[in-house]
Amino acid sequence: MQIEALDDFRYRIGRDEARGMRAAVLVFASPRLLEQIRKDKSLEQAENVAMLPGIVGPSLAMPDIHQGYGFPIGGVAATDWREGVVSPGGVGFDINCGVRLVRSSVALEGARPRIRDLVNQIFRDIPCGAGGEGPVKIEGQTLDRALEEGAQWAVEAGYGEPRDAEFAEERGCLKDADPAKVSDRAKTRGRPQLGTIGSGNHFLEIQYVEQIHDAQAAAAMQLEEGQIVVLIHCGSRGLGHQVCTDYLAQMGEAMKKYGITLPDRQLACVPIQSPEGQSYLGAMRAAANFAWANRQVILHFLRGAFRRIFGPDTRLDLVYDVCHNIAKRERHMVQGEWKDVLVHRKGATRAFPAGHPELPAAYRSTGQPVFVPGSMGTASWVLVGAAGSMTQTFGSVCHGAGRRMSRTAAKKGRNASEVQKKLEAEGIFVRSETRDGILEEIPEAYKDVDEVIEVAHRTGLARKVARLRPIGVIKG
Amino acid sequence: MFEVLEHTADIGFRARAPSLSGLFEAAAEALVAIVLNPANIVPRDAIELSAQGESNESLLVNWLSEVLYWLDGERFALRGFQVHRLGGGRIAARATGERRDCLRHEPRLIVKGVTYHQLKIGQNAKGWWCEVYLDV
Repeated sequence: MQIEALDDFRYRIGRDEARGMRAAVLVFASPRLLEQIRKDKSLEQAENVAMLPGIVGPSLAMPDIHQGYGFPIGGVAATDWREGVVSPGGVGFDINCGVRLVRSSVALEGARPRIRDLVNQIFRDIPCGAGGEGPVKIEGQTLDRALEEGAQWAVEAGYGEPRDAEFAEERGCLKDADPAKVSDRAKTRGRPQLGTIGSGNHFLEIQYVEQIHDAQAAAAMQLEEGQIVVLIHCGSRGLGHQVCTDYLAQMGEAMKKYGITLPDRQLACVPIQSPEGQSYLGAMRAAANFAWANRQVILHFLRGAFRRIFGPDTRLDLVYDVCHNIAKRERHMVQGEWKDVLVHRKGATRAFPAGHPELPAAYRSTGQPVFVPGSMGTASWVLVGAAGSMTQTFGSVCHGAGRRMSRTAAKKGRNASEVQKKLEAEGIFVRSETRDGILEEIPEAYKDVDEVIEVAHRTGLARKVARLRPIGVIKG
Repeated sequence: MFEVLEHTADIGFRARAPSLSGLFEAAAEALVAIVLNPANIVPRDAIELSAQGESNESLLVNWLSEVLYWLDGERFALRGFQVHRLGGGRIAARATGERRDCLRHEPRLIVKGVTYHQLKIGQNAKGWWCEVYLDV
């Protein structure tokens, strides 16, 4: 594989027509991150993505890229809305896995002495891990309404405040969702899980704003140093997982009909305008709305937990909610012409700059808030989308630190209670359903989030706004 | 018989068995053991499972997706897989178990889906083997 350095943070893999590549690959990374990226198959996967019929522009690799299934995690690809394909693998099993940031009226000095009580209260109120059923029972037509209306359904059903839905990507609801395209199995799998975090790398973290880097953008988000905030990372739970499973099975057959061949079955795709493509998009949007409803219900129960610990006047306000596993129709300038494309973001975050009409008025002059979790022992970042994202990455940026260690390697030779004690000595109280939940997510398992952010900042994809540090962690 | 395989973000397993039917049974047992502790599953009820696929690979993915649906959708802890029909792109099997119990069955990981990533099925002098990666 020939990788050409374009500058200190951009690398290019040329289009190899003999391999069937229809586009080049553009990688955003520092030399050190590139060295780590080359240790797994993620760049090979980015080359495979470049083979998708109708791809527009290069196959893009964000600085947190690591090996996934079909698409790399941290991969972005836009396909022509009329002539291109949609690939469920470009969205992933966890449709609309995403992050929401909530600011509080509590300050660090008030939270530190109560952090154990707070974490334990949240642990009781918001199920996580592999065993928990959610606090909300949702049946039949009500579930379909949640699939159509997302966070807006949750707010109307009493799980939130009216302004909540306003402060989310797509206002927490993708239009043209089609609950009829979601199988009964998917509904059965997801129904009891509304209001739950799940497991794996999903979490809820109590953090404080350690340092402000952009005063104007921080002011627009009403963030200040020493303020307690909460970062929630989860998705569409079993409902989204089953939607992906169902359509991957169907698309393997359909690909033959459309004469599409690709080197990896997990990249299965069909023309966007085909009946199969439209069905998938209808179901995917419904699953995305379920994820927004899920994160909204979690916010509602989080408010309850905070008020029990800090008093009934405690405020929790949504800063914003972003998704990082999604395919969305967007309009982008491509080689001097406006074009409708389907942007697949697999482990990548939308990062629209200031002035974009999609943004709520509060962020119109600063850019869209982007949240990039690090690991439970390090830091997370608040960014805003910058103009470079529109010219380079179809308005996208990274979504996390990116794993560099397998789950098995992370567990090897380590003891969960020692990890917990070490983190406690650093002022971070961790609770998890399982010991593995702590060990698999140790800070050492992840790349350096600060370096990932530096690449995003220096390449003009996004701007640094604030660095957050955890003090309480709830893992699945 | 199975062993866990490493993956940067997720998890996989390698299963082996003397026959292809045995391999599908072993792969199902591996998936269950990744999701929960199967040691305490009481065989209270029997269920029938089935799947279809155009190749051994897609049949294996669809079969494991069926098992996963029972684990995560029906919340049923199952073991003792017995394949009673395999051929022509179809599998039919029976398993026994009970409703999942968070305390007794010790949940381990939530598996989101069964992938085609680096999926392999092969045959050698000792029988059949497969490698499967799961999204967790």
